[in-house]
Amino acid sequence: MGQFADVAVAGVYQTHQGDLSGRSQPSVWWESARGACADAGLSLGDIDGIVGDGPLDPGLRERMPAPGIAEQLGHPLRFHARSAVGAGSTASGLNLAAYAVSHGLAEVVVVVNAVAGRGAGYASANRDEAVAAMAKLSGPYEYVYGTTRVSDCAVMAMRHMHDYGTTAEQLAEIAVAQRHGATLHPLSVHGHRGELTLDEVIGSRLVADPLHLLDCCSINQGGGAIVVTSAARAEALGRHAPVVLLGYGEGHSHIDPNAADKLTEFPAAAMAADTAFGMAGVRRDEIDVAGIGDHFTIGVLIGLEDAGFCGRGEGGAFVSGGGTAIGGRLPTNTSGGFLSFSHAGLCGIFTLIEVVEQLRHEAGPRQVAGARLGFVSGVGGVQQAFSAAVLGRA
Amino acid sequence: MSDYQKFLPEGIPDAHLPFWDSLREHQARVQRCDDCRTYRYIPKDLCPRCHSEGATWTPVSGAGEVYTYTVVRRAPTPAYQADAPYVLAHVTMAEGFRMIARLTGAEPEAVRIGMPVVIDYDDVTPEWTLFTFRPASPAGQRGVAGS
Repeated sequence: MGQFADVAVAGVYQTHQGDLSGRSQPSVWWESARGACADAGLSLGDIDGIVGDGPLDPGLRERMPAPGIAEQLGHPLRFHARSAVGAGSTASGLNLAAYAVSHGLAEVVVVVNAVAGRGAGYASANRDEAVAAMAKLSGPYEYVYGTTRVSDCAVMAMRHMHDYGTTAEQLAEIAVAQRHGATLHPLSVHGHRGELTLDEVIGSRLVADPLHLLDCCSINQGGGAIVVTSAARAEALGRHAPVVLLGYGEGHSHIDPNAADKLTEFPAAAMAADTAFGMAGVRRDEIDVAGIGDHFTIGVLIGLEDAGFCGRGEGGAFVSGGGTAIGGRLPTNTSGGFLSFSHAGLCGIFTLIEVVEQLRHEAGPRQVAGARLGFVSGVGGVQQAFSAAVLGRA
Repeated sequence: MSDYQKFLPEGIPDAHLPFWDSLREHQARVQRCDDCRTYRYIPKDLCPRCHSEGATWTPVSGAGEVYTYTVVRRAPTPAYQADAPYVLAHVTMAEGFRMIARLTGAEPEAVRIGMPVVIDYDDVTPEWTLFTFRPASPAGQRGVAGS
């Protein structure tokens, strides 16, 4: 039994995903927090800890969000912490929340991700604006040449294909499998477009060779939140099967992509997974459902290898024939992931929420039969930082 | 004022400026550890191998081979889109470290992993010079005539 087994995700909530430019970010933040509390059978008044960013607010209020949130709640908060694993930050926030609860620093901790409004930059609902802003998330030694987030990952795919014979069809398998899940999730941004075929993915225009448009994540806005409390309290609330955190780990390796030994494998991801699996005392082949950061299809393929679900270079074969689809050998990103569900802000929270819903056996038509153990790998930046968690149905 | 519309380097620490100065002189120099002789590119405060702070700006051979690459068809801004499709290459230099830049002088379809390339320079504004790569041998070039 892992060290966090007395801590549970008691509530989850996701807002409408898509274009939320007509709403303010704080309203989406509060909707998310309120919704996650309600899902747990709690209310905003029960919150005594916060992890992550708060409602957007100028100056110190943004750098130090907890006092302003406390003021809104009308009672002081006992805990605030923030993780910094990029898009994986909200998923890694589960670890900080679990730390607070298991150490008696707080009883009810919410982790929120909210992106909305008309602001510029990568949180914009405007695709061109977001693409330009995201390009400059890399350093000046790259972006002066016209790199993009897509090109940053395309170079990984190109080398993986060269070294291991991985094919565009195999990458497309991931997009097809995830789109199927999205068609079964009413909040997904791309589910309404219907199923994809391998030919449609490969036939979509190349954005940065060898990645096609349909190898790339959505660009959209949205919110989501989780509430973490003790497993005993979650069980007493009686709303859902408590989902407990069995193991957690991180890995941070490099910031400049030329500093990575290879662009086909990322030891920091393996480190995060090894730590999480070791703490949980769980084997890879016991995992029923996974969530792996999927800004691009190649991220899932390499992520499966790095996390040890298959051997190095075997990712292509692993995902073939619907390997990551619901009913496949390892259902992964079953809501559609960033590719087809939502890619908004610190979007790792959506990855985590889907695994929680699966372990609750509340995923409806997406349900992986009998799922009891789940794995989440949050990725920060371009495979530069990782958080990994093993979760279990209590 | 320049009418250059693409991104220029921003926020370059003073400690990195010798690299950018070397580009303007068309002779790239990178840090080399004074203690263990390991090259450091992109500039760093410490040597990742021995943690020494001391380094000497050392000229690079300029020769390398393509470790990986991509062809950008959807660029970050209109100014870059005007160049698309363009090749971005990660190049393993003869000295062992990798550098990222545009690869010019070859059709995108002709680029291969392992292809030998050499460094070149592009004075994009009076203040800033970028480096690029071009094929090391004419054999790597194709379709120049008529393109």
